[in-house]
Amino acid sequence: MSTPIVGLIMGVIFGASLVLAGLTNPDKIIGALRLKDFYAIRTVAVFLLVGMLGTLILDLFGVANFSIKPAVILTVLIGGALLGTGFGLTGFSPATGLASAASGRLDALVTVIGMIFGAHVYILIYPSVVIPLERILNFGSVTLPQITGASAALWVVPIFAAGSLALFITRPREQQYDEQRMRAGDLEMNEVFPFPLSPKPTLREKGIYLKSDCLNAAHVFRQWKNLLFVVMLLCLLLLQGSFWLVSTGQVKIAENTHTEAPAVPGADSIQADLAAAPAEESPSPWLLGLDVTFERLTSIVRIANIMLVLTSVLYALIMYFGLGISFKGGLGGLAYISGALYMALIIFVLLLPWQNFFGPIAMGATYTPGELARWCTTDISDTLGMVLFYLRFTGYWALVMLLLLLAQLRSFRWARAILR
Amino acid sequence: MDELPILEKFLRKSRKGRLTAESRVLRSKCEEELIMTELNSRTHPLPWWAAGILLGLVQVLAIALVKPMSVSKQFVVADAKVLERVAPEYSENHPLLSDEQYKKFGYGWWFNVGIVLGACLAALHLRAWKVRTVSLWWKRNHDAPVLLRLIAGFCGGVLLLLGAGLAHGCITEQFISGWTQLSLSAIPFTITLFGFGMLVAYLVYPKAPNRLRREE
Repeated sequence: MSTPIVGLIMGVIFGASLVLAGLTNPDKIIGALRLKDFYAIRTVAVFLLVGMLGTLILDLFGVANFSIKPAVILTVLIGGALLGTGFGLTGFSPATGLASAASGRLDALVTVIGMIFGAHVYILIYPSVVIPLERILNFGSVTLPQITGASAALWVVPIFAAGSLALFITRPREQQYDEQRMRAGDLEMNEVFPFPLSPKPTLREKGIYLKSDCLNAAHVFRQWKNLLFVVMLLCLLLLQGSFWLVSTGQVKIAENTHTEAPAVPGADSIQADLAAAPAEESPSPWLLGLDVTFERLTSIVRIANIMLVLTSVLYALIMYFGLGISFKGGLGGLAYISGALYMALIIFVLLLPWQNFFGPIAMGATYTPGELARWCTTDISDTLGMVLFYLRFTGYWALVMLLLLLAQLRSFRWARAILR
Repeated sequence: MDELPILEKFLRKSRKGRLTAESRVLRSKCEEELIMTELNSRTHPLPWWAAGILLGLVQVLAIALVKPMSVSKQFVVADAKVLERVAPEYSENHPLLSDEQYKKFGYGWWFNVGIVLGACLAALHLRAWKVRTVSLWWKRNHDAPVLLRLIAGFCGGVLLLLGAGLAHGCITEQFISGWTQLSLSAIPFTITLFGFGMLVAYLVYPKAPNRLRREE
């Protein structure tokens, strides 16, 4: 097929999908820019994420046709500002303006005419204004992976994961809320709703409002609780993973480090021999390109420790507030949430690094990198030492994990009981 | 839907002359009804995730077949064509117009023609093809709607293409294709685009339409 026909077909598909997506409606765009209507933002976010992932896959197969624009920072900034002004004024971008004009909007048609004039102005000022400006701050056609030296997968996969997680957590649930509101007050469809601006609600109405408010709050708390649970789970898995990496000798400790800041620079790198490594300790594929040294591992462990302690505080607090809401609104499920609160508190107590305050008498489930190095480098040949070693690092961890899962289960039951 | 013309008529009448308190309440109710009907009749047919995935796949297809999508350059090409006819010696010496890629209607031109065609077909298919002049946000915020809206649309169009020329690409090209290819230029572009876009939208459209709610 010749290029014009391909272009025409691609254009038809793109224009039709712009209309199908509703992006040709300027109300959607202005609503998005005013942060009142999140439909367009979500659509474009999914658009970007899918495009990124697809491009990465195409690149892996070697069939992607890139066309990187030159990074002339100054003109891009000015151009972005002008474009943004036009975008906020009209609610059209060049592509949606065309599509919108084709679906019968006269203002879009006028905008397209304006765009042709704009192109003319650009041609007129090109020799005298644009060429001198383009000499300033010109970095050439570069991509972020080229600058950072990391592979494109290292950029795309985290962005995709974080983006999809964020979109999933914040997914709209207006409908559900309404239904829950109805059920919370046992309102039926044919019942007359009270006029919202009437001066004083009666006692029963007050109760209904309070209940539905409490339900909404419980919804929010549930979402945050689940998010925190995922973060804690990830941190715990990270801690355990790094322990196994060190204890099986995948990551070598350079010197016998008893201090808090171990790891001489240039410590041995990971031997990425997948066949030799047992399945559970093998690093995930996209880590393979990384150079996992003990030094990097210590920073990961430290970050995970801090995150764990902070999130466990928040987790327990959310449980406490959940208990309060259940109690105040009379929503039920108190037995579950109080059990979960207790467990969250125990998790918090266990996670605190007590060994820093009391020395070896009391220990927390989180370990410092120095401690790990000390334990791993001391020779443990007798059974008792071995048992102690694994009890301290894996057994303790498993206990915390179990408690966390139980707490999550209890609070899940709580959420199900009240939001049913 | 049948009540729409009646409501519109009533509203037009009620704008003239003084109103009693009752008719004011009635009027606001009517306005709200009108907006809700319009909003519902203009809803997008796809949920956000399906729309996003569809658009993303179109982009991936474009990258696999020819190159990432771009729209704004063809406006310059159209102008260049006209200038070539009107003032041949000017366009011969112009550093931009003498470039080979601005001289012929290629893939990009037919892509734009395709956008117009595809959008028209889709709108007809959805029975959403309707001549409109103002958007709901504009109606809510400005009293003399139509003419001002058209003037603003024209000025906005000039700014859009001027900015797209300076930034080497419009929103499709720099923002969407830029981010899908992870190019460096997408970062400053995104910052100023949304910074200025949100600022201007806040200044031009300070009031939100009544009961505008998410309709996913």
